[in-house]
Amino acid sequence: MPATAGPVIVTREETRDPEWDGRRAEVGINVPDESAEQLRRFPAAWSRREFLRRLGGTAAVAALGAGTMGFLEACGSGGTPTTSATPRKGGHVTEGWAFDIKTFNPILSQDVYSNLCIGVCLDSLLTSKANGELMPLLAEAMPKVSADGQTYTFKLRQDVKWTDGTPLTSDDVLFTYDLIFAPEYAAVASPRRGDFTQHVAAISAPDPYTFVVQTKSPYAPFLATHAQYGILPKHVLGNLPAAAINTADFNSAPTVTSGPFKFVRWDKGSQVVFTRNPDYYRGAPRLDSFVYKVVPDTVAVANQLKTGEIDAGQISPSQVASLQTEPGLTLTSFVVPQFEFYMYQLDPTKPAGQIFQEQAVRQALLYAIDRPGIVKTVLFGQGQVANSVEPPTSWAYNPNTRPTYPYDPRKAGQLLDQAGWVKGPDGVRAKGGRRLEFTLQYATGDPVLKSVAQVMQQDWQAIGVKMTPQEIQFSQLVTLITDTRTFDLILVGFNFSQDPDQSQLFSSSGTERGGFNGFDFKNAQVDQLLNQAATTLDQSKRKQLYFQYQDIMAAQVPAPVLYFLKRTYGVSKRVQGYGYGPFNQYGQRPWLKDVWVTDGK
Amino acid sequence: MAGYVVRRLLTAVPVLFGVTLITFLLMHFTAGNYVPGLQLDPNLKPSDIARIRANLGLDRPLVVQYLDWIGIGALFKAVGLAGVLGGSHNIDPGILEGNFGRSLIDGSPVLASVLGRLPNTLELTATAIVVGLALAVPVGVVSALRRGSRLDQFLTAASVAGFAVPQFWLGLLLILLFSVEFHAWGLPWLPSSGAVSPLGGGGVVDRLQHLALPATVLAFFYLSSWSRFVRSSMIETLSQDYVRTARAKGMSERRTVYVHALRNAVAPLVTLIGLELPGLVSGALVVEVVFGWPGIGLLAFQRALQYDYTTVMGITTFAAVLVVLGNLLADVLYAVIDPRVRYS
Repeated sequence: MPATAGPVIVTREETRDPEWDGRRAEVGINVPDESAEQLRRFPAAWSRREFLRRLGGTAAVAALGAGTMGFLEACGSGGTPTTSATPRKGGHVTEGWAFDIKTFNPILSQDVYSNLCIGVCLDSLLTSKANGELMPLLAEAMPKVSADGQTYTFKLRQDVKWTDGTPLTSDDVLFTYDLIFAPEYAAVASPRRGDFTQHVAAISAPDPYTFVVQTKSPYAPFLATHAQYGILPKHVLGNLPAAAINTADFNSAPTVTSGPFKFVRWDKGSQVVFTRNPDYYRGAPRLDSFVYKVVPDTVAVANQLKTGEIDAGQISPSQVASLQTEPGLTLTSFVVPQFEFYMYQLDPTKPAGQIFQEQAVRQALLYAIDRPGIVKTVLFGQGQVANSVEPPTSWAYNPNTRPTYPYDPRKAGQLLDQAGWVKGPDGVRAKGGRRLEFTLQYATGDPVLKSVAQVMQQDWQAIGVKMTPQEIQFSQLVTLITDTRTFDLILVGFNFSQDPDQSQLFSSSGTERGGFNGFDFKNAQVDQLLNQAATTLDQSKRKQLYFQYQDIMAAQVPAPVLYFLKRTYGVSKRVQGYGYGPFNQYGQRPWLKDVWVTDGK
Repeated sequence: MAGYVVRRLLTAVPVLFGVTLITFLLMHFTAGNYVPGLQLDPNLKPSDIARIRANLGLDRPLVVQYLDWIGIGALFKAVGLAGVLGGSHNIDPGILEGNFGRSLIDGSPVLASVLGRLPNTLELTATAIVVGLALAVPVGVVSALRRGSRLDQFLTAASVAGFAVPQFWLGLLLILLFSVEFHAWGLPWLPSSGAVSPLGGGGVVDRLQHLALPATVLAFFYLSSWSRFVRSSMIETLSQDYVRTARAKGMSERRTVYVHALRNAVAPLVTLIGLELPGLVSGALVVEVVFGWPGIGLLAFQRALQYDYTTVMGITTFAAVLVVLGNLLADVLYAVIDPRVRYS
């Protein structure tokens, strides 16, 4: 369930490959399993890097990268059955992840693992295809939108029953949305209420199979953001007072569900087990059981894919090569809207803000970073250099955004020369007594970010810029971005959802306290474009606006995206019909009911 | 003796108080204004954060939160002083009343989570301690009897290694060999994580298969330390006068060593094991994490990473109580085993 339209700081809990998620780690300490992992991959990463540095050759780089080129680029395709054999009924699939889930309550959930398990057993009004396009699930069709763009009318399917036989009606939908809308439910600890109440004027259920939402003004990201929550059973939770919803037994053991699989048990820290819902309204699933297995770390994911203890899992970049030759596995890889970027401090009242206010400096620094090198050596090829702030997975992405910033240290030097930054006796550039010297902060515990920071340090040193990397606790990093904002540069991973709106990050409204524009980027044209795009419902018109927006952002580079990540998934060859894609894995999985196993086990 | 036990229990009170206070402060200062369980989502309005913090009671002054957590709040309420602590949040019973609170992550009662994990942890640690002990005594005795021999040198080297090799590394090595490679070679292989198979697991064979690798790592550690202890204790005992007397009286070597010397040499080991009692619950964190063993250590580890204050504080307090009790038990046992020890 990509529950948010805006960007999301990716925490350790997040979707991305946990191996390089140390920095997003909720606590960035080097914990035993993490350091074990570093033991394995860090020397490998560095020896490779050092080796290439010494070689200075691109041939070796190309050879390293080539291994990952042959992958199926599944982005945009739906479920991709891998054979044409006749599907059979029965058996199970075990999917392995390095994190346990937290809750089955879609209104409280804020992490993708919980969302994944919620999606297995609780259906939503709409859901997403692999490419991020919305499709109806509990709704009969996509909702009708009124002419003024402010009223969404959902017609529900009439053949949906909860697993206890009660029909699922608009009462349940209204109840679910009341939890984040009605004042009497304010004590529900939902993170969605603020955004929902900001945009929604009224919700109602005029008849048992109609649900209506009225927004305060046209708001294009609405459906992607708020129409994909699992619907809760009112007849189970409706009698609870607001505060009791937070700790309801249902949150740990949803005994009444509506999705393709029924909940069996959640052994906390170990696994969540589901069994087929034979009465599922879209047709009974083929599998008898689906298991979400919690494994110790990403190395364990790779190991257990090899032993067959798990049938499917996300492979960390450093493990991809070792699994490519595994005969029993099919690997699929695609770009996802997750990225690492760094923020320039632009607030002129802060020392670094004085430096970075100068556009030439921002551009020069980006030219000087060897991003293709980072992708090839640090990411093991599992990434794509970004040439726009919009992710390549988005319909609003412009592949021809200009300018781009290829690795060009000479041009970087020239830009700084022209801008009057001249090298001093110690090799560090300065202008008017101010030196190009600053600190880059990132969350502790992530070997990948650490490597990226070191590459940036070296690359910048080569053009006469002195940058000092500094690790801080993740929780402090967040405070730094949203609150205190006393940084020079911050390097952090983020995650965009399917809607291209980026207001929270790049609109000047995000500079308010608590907002995520902690780097103080204020550009009237960007504000106007983002605002207009968010209130325009016509997708082709929105697209044009976002194209303009991307060009301005490419010229301004207030917070350059270094690269978008690629994810590689391994699925056992005995499993057929796995439809992994960038947008249809961490929520309701419309393809899951059609998954089957060749051996019937 | 009874007076001694009571005194010891009384001195434990400030210790436990200190433990709860330090744990509490550490958790709060690490997490700062972070709201546990929430990813950092720009859609999350400051109003959401404020509301959720208030719901969790995190908006109150630290002192009030602490007092509420340990349960003084409920005492105050009972005597009509609830207003002192601020009325915005429900005042629940605290750990003084046996209520460890609810997890900030999943809302489930902390004590139930901890107790739910206890059997798994005990299964692992008890197995390791029993196996470790069963091997440590013969290994130590053989080393002592053949002091300086090649065998002794080998066993000494092995136990130093057992002490020095990090458990996570040994664990990963065993997984690589007995799970991944054995599977690749077509040999019978062992599962690499978890306590039971997710589907249809839980039988004795299934449990033993899952137990084998983590218990080996942990047992190796105990074996290393205890066999050293038995060895030195045995060497010391064998040089005692009564052993020489027994030999002089013509007692068989076997009887001298295994009846007279061994019993005396092993007695102090009981104290050592008593000191390990808290380890029954808390000693397996690293092994649990490496093998995804759903015990208390893994729970503490996962929840610390999620800033789940209440669960971490609950586990720490739980472990602290066990340490205090384990130490006391060891001291008392010592007096029971060695009548010369007197407590006054």
